[in-house]
Amino acid sequence: MTRLEATRVIVEFAGDAPIIASLGHPAYDLFAAGDRPQNFYTWGSMGLASSVGLGLALARPDVRVIVLDGDGSLLMNLGSLATIGLLKPQNLVVVVMDNEEYATTGGQRTPTAHGADLEAAARAMGIAATATVRSPQELQDRGAESPALHGSGPLFIVAKVQESAPTAKPPLDCVFIKQRFMSAIRTPQSSIEGAAL
Amino acid sequence: MTTVEPAWAVGVCTGVHAAGSRDVVYVPDNPLSHVLRVFEQRFRDVRLLLATREEEAFGIAAGLYLGGRLPTVMLQSSGLGNSLNAITSLLMPYQIPVLMVVSMRGDAGEWNAAQVPMGRAVGGIFEALAVPYATVESADAAAETVRLAGKTAFGTRTSRAVLLPRRVTTGS
Repeated sequence: MTRLEATRVIVEFAGDAPIIASLGHPAYDLFAAGDRPQNFYTWGSMGLASSVGLGLALARPDVRVIVLDGDGSLLMNLGSLATIGLLKPQNLVVVVMDNEEYATTGGQRTPTAHGADLEAAARAMGIAATATVRSPQELQDRGAESPALHGSGPLFIVAKVQESAPTAKPPLDCVFIKQRFMSAIRTPQSSIEGAAL
Repeated sequence: MTTVEPAWAVGVCTGVHAAGSRDVVYVPDNPLSHVLRVFEQRFRDVRLLLATREEEAFGIAAGLYLGGRLPTVMLQSSGLGNSLNAITSLLMPYQIPVLMVVSMRGDAGEWNAAQVPMGRAVGGIFEALAVPYATVESADAAAETVRLAGKTAFGTRTSRAVLLPRRVTTGS
């Protein structure tokens, strides 16, 4: 399964749910798989996609929040797994696109290429619902599960993917990305909507 | 056992609350433990969220803001160094405001030499980033200094910082 194929599956099972994408290739593929206002493309802050998703999941327990992370990115912020395992937001889904390399910077191998197991790390940090998937069908089956339905807590999926060269690039204007995203998930923004006096 | 609530800590909590923030993401230190206790005792509607590292705290805060909350991040000045990439490549370009409450180390009264270089650099770093910051000059000034910083940050979608010097937080 290429990362783009996996990303298409995620966009499909996301429905209207917001997706927070880690910078670089995960964000590029999310745009290629289907640009939508509920996509939050990060252009920096490597490692923080799962933290942003956690904050949003806490702010909006009524909304299923999906994080599209990378193995190299998550390895920069492994403490995030402990925080997610501590708070256990039922509405958070973290999918790690694990291509075992820093593809955006030229394909240097990450520790997952040598056995580092991110699913085991998530379980060790208290995240009970975890999976490692290798095919679009497996990803589809796991992603379609709603953890909130059976109270199993946040869902953490490692998708083992092959690198595929990105074919498109998301919008570059960060404020546009934010405003469009907040409008789509119905967060009030008096700065662009105005407000009664 | 009587728990003492230092006036400066009550002021910080009052200011955060008055600025409309109900979510505080923090990495603890000794002075901030007083603030956390006052929040727990007097401001039950404020959600306290522990982060493992300051950079992570800013990521969580950004997500809270996207969902409609007005986030505060509380950290020790030593953790500012851990936060710079989050501040510069997430908060600033996306215009995501966070109220930063920074407990100072390395300023007047410090005993630990390892804290001094970063403590001394804090003001210069905020100036280099063009992040406005104010110092709480006394316990009496805490509430208003924090409230104003928060109101301005959230109103203008620009992060701001409030520094808590050791002479206020430890009396040293």
